[in-house]
Amino acid sequence: MSAMQRQSTVGKDVSFERIRRITGYLVGTMDKWNDAKKAEEHDRVKHGLSCGCK
Amino acid sequence: MITKVIKRDGRVVDFDSGKILAAIEKSMKAAGCTASQGAAAVTEAVSRHLDEHYQQTPPKIEEIQDIVEHELMRMGFDEVAKQYILYRANRTRIREANTSLMKTIDEITKVDARQSDVKRDNANIDGNTAMGSMLQIGTAGAKAYNEAYLLTPQQAKAYREGDIHIHDFDFYSLTTTCTQIDIVNLFDGGFSTGHGFLREPQSIQSYAALAAIAIQSNQNDQHGGQSIPNFDYGMALGVAKTFRKAYTNKLTEGLEDFLDTEDEKDNVTKILADVKEATGMSPRLETDAEKFDAAVSEQITKKYNIPQEKAAHLVEVARRRANRKADRDTYQAMEGFVHNLNTMHSRAGAQTPFSSINYGTDTTPEGRMVIRNILLATDAGLGHGETCIFPIHVFKVKEGVNYNEGDPNYDLFKLSCKVSAKRLFPNYIFLDAPFNLQYYKPGRPETEVATMGCRTRVMGNVYDPSREISYGRGNLSFTSINLPRLAIEANHDEKVFYQKLDEMLDLVANQLLDRFEIQASKRVYNYPFLMGQGVWLDSDKLGPNDEVREVLKHGTLSIGFIGLAETLTALYGHHHGESDEMQQKGLEIVRYMRAYCDRRSQETKMNFTLLATPAEGLSGRFIRMDKKRYGIIPGVTDRDYYTNSFHVPVWYNISAFEKIQKEAPYHALTNAGHISYVELDGDTSNNVDAFESVVRCMHDAGIGYGSINHPVDRDPVCGYVGVIGDVCPRCGRRDGEAISPEKLAQLRKQYPDIPTFRGIE
Repeated sequence: MSAMQRQSTVGKDVSFERIRRITGYLVGTMDKWNDAKKAEEHDRVKHGLSCGCK
Repeated sequence: MITKVIKRDGRVVDFDSGKILAAIEKSMKAAGCTASQGAAAVTEAVSRHLDEHYQQTPPKIEEIQDIVEHELMRMGFDEVAKQYILYRANRTRIREANTSLMKTIDEITKVDARQSDVKRDNANIDGNTAMGSMLQIGTAGAKAYNEAYLLTPQQAKAYREGDIHIHDFDFYSLTTTCTQIDIVNLFDGGFSTGHGFLREPQSIQSYAALAAIAIQSNQNDQHGGQSIPNFDYGMALGVAKTFRKAYTNKLTEGLEDFLDTEDEKDNVTKILADVKEATGMSPRLETDAEKFDAAVSEQITKKYNIPQEKAAHLVEVARRRANRKADRDTYQAMEGFVHNLNTMHSRAGAQTPFSSINYGTDTTPEGRMVIRNILLATDAGLGHGETCIFPIHVFKVKEGVNYNEGDPNYDLFKLSCKVSAKRLFPNYIFLDAPFNLQYYKPGRPETEVATMGCRTRVMGNVYDPSREISYGRGNLSFTSINLPRLAIEANHDEKVFYQKLDEMLDLVANQLLDRFEIQASKRVYNYPFLMGQGVWLDSDKLGPNDEVREVLKHGTLSIGFIGLAETLTALYGHHHGESDEMQQKGLEIVRYMRAYCDRRSQETKMNFTLLATPAEGLSGRFIRMDKKRYGIIPGVTDRDYYTNSFHVPVWYNISAFEKIQKEAPYHALTNAGHISYVELDGDTSNNVDAFESVVRCMHDAGIGYGSINHPVDRDPVCGYVGVIGDVCPRCGRRDGEAISPEKLAQLRKQYPDIPTFRGIE
């Protein structure tokens, strides 16, 4: 391994964790979600707060 | 005369006409016909036919069966032929189930979970591990057996073809879903896990440890999740014990230091006993502190001849230190509890227990200490600052207790918003919603509604109306209806839709009753913890060999549904998010199903309830089949999932306020459980006020149970927690990129929470 390569070895292939809620439960990574739930998560839109809430 | 036949697997074996005779006789018996000479005549006719047509090559089994059918009909045995055909179809079904079972096991054994949807059916099971695969193989085997042998042909067809979904079908014959575990009752006098007896806990640390064990043990007796409805009330007893001990110890140490002695413990114990005898009071956090401390310092003055001010000072210091000790111990206990629930395993080691805790309404100083510290421990996260996946926290919101300024636990409600805005928990359950408030009796925590984190809820009780409580009860089983399919089949005709819905409701209710028969005929020894330790309501009145039938009736049989939005679109052209007219139509449908449940409850005195199904595996199952059947119907089958229960579709643009208003009325109707979500953008931890305004909006709109989703990302390399787009805001790397150890070292000076990487750095 060259000095250059050795210099940047921390975190190679380490993914960001993205925690999401699935039927009430949290799941630490979406790798384990089934295909339908992945598609649903992908489609989720944000809800704006421009509203009459107190 | 033929001598050989070819079996299904290709093997050639000797022909035996006796087998044909036996099958025909069986069919005759099933058809209620007793003329056995008829069977012999048909057998002879079949043999003749075979002799004429199969001189060259032996016949195949299927061909022989075709001939039997033909001869039965030709000779006028129509009813027998029908029975014979049914018998054949059933054998085929079982054979196919076996073949598909082997295929499924093959997939579980060989395919990477990332490539196999079967292995990701439940996101909590790691299908790539040995124990996860073993669990999945068991599941596949149980499902094949249950479908072939336990369902009626009508139920099997409806399940197989996706008219209905029987949840946790692998456990069909084995157990029930879930329970709200009353830990106050369970810990009283100690309990047994089946592997050893645990004495009644004596400190907050042991209370917390035992709470985790209780969840784990009960999870092994049931197929669903486990919840504690009274986490604050239960743990408060542990805090009280810890404080009492700490007060005694700190006072002892103080006296020993002051007197320069070594053994004042017995004297202090005696003093506290005397005070208790004289005043009836014991050392308690805050409660009656002044009065009690005065009585103690008076006794000290008397006993040791210490000046009054000095004695008062010693007591004051002891109390302050005991307070600090109890607080610190409680934090550590809560931290340990959360760590435990995220790392412990159950069910052959394949799962982390699905766990939930409800809290927020205990206003005692001890209860408040518990609530504050469980929130703080959750806020801090796990060892590297990771967000805790378990337990699901459910904060009970109640006016007069914690909702408004001036309420005793208002500060804790505020804190809960801050924590949830960062960590996604707690979720919120609203005790003031009319359908929850009707059960609420002040001072009786068991009448406060509690929920399983996923949404399952149990309150009403037609079996025993004097026990409309959450403790010790839960769901027995639930089955969901494919609502969009009924709408598609109805072809825009409302009347036809409701006829079909009626039929489906009957089918599901009867199937739930059939399953109940299996569950109810179990004995206490089949549920060693749930029933054996008295966790389930009234099970403490049963002996180990007793049938659980009667006590199980405290539980619920729930009818669920999916895809109200797609149903409305299929029937009328658009969904309830789009117009008030459709909202009325949607409410009509759900009200109709609820009325059905209420009617069946009255008829049977069993708790039939309506569930807004938490569809994980189900979200894709129905629509996959419906796409094949009906093709792509815009707004109905054009995605990969049906919309959850009564939700406004996740892809539909709507404000948080409107979404809450639309969904709230459905909460009142779905008495088996419900949840509404709001999706917020950006890092809500920077805008807790906005977060809280959504919670308040839910409360005021009459939502029963709700939670707020927002992105929570973490970079495991530099430990940053928050929203991460393409680039990590702290260390600047992209997904999967490496950074230099020098840069990491530099960042560490600034952010001490950066994890260390053994063997890399």
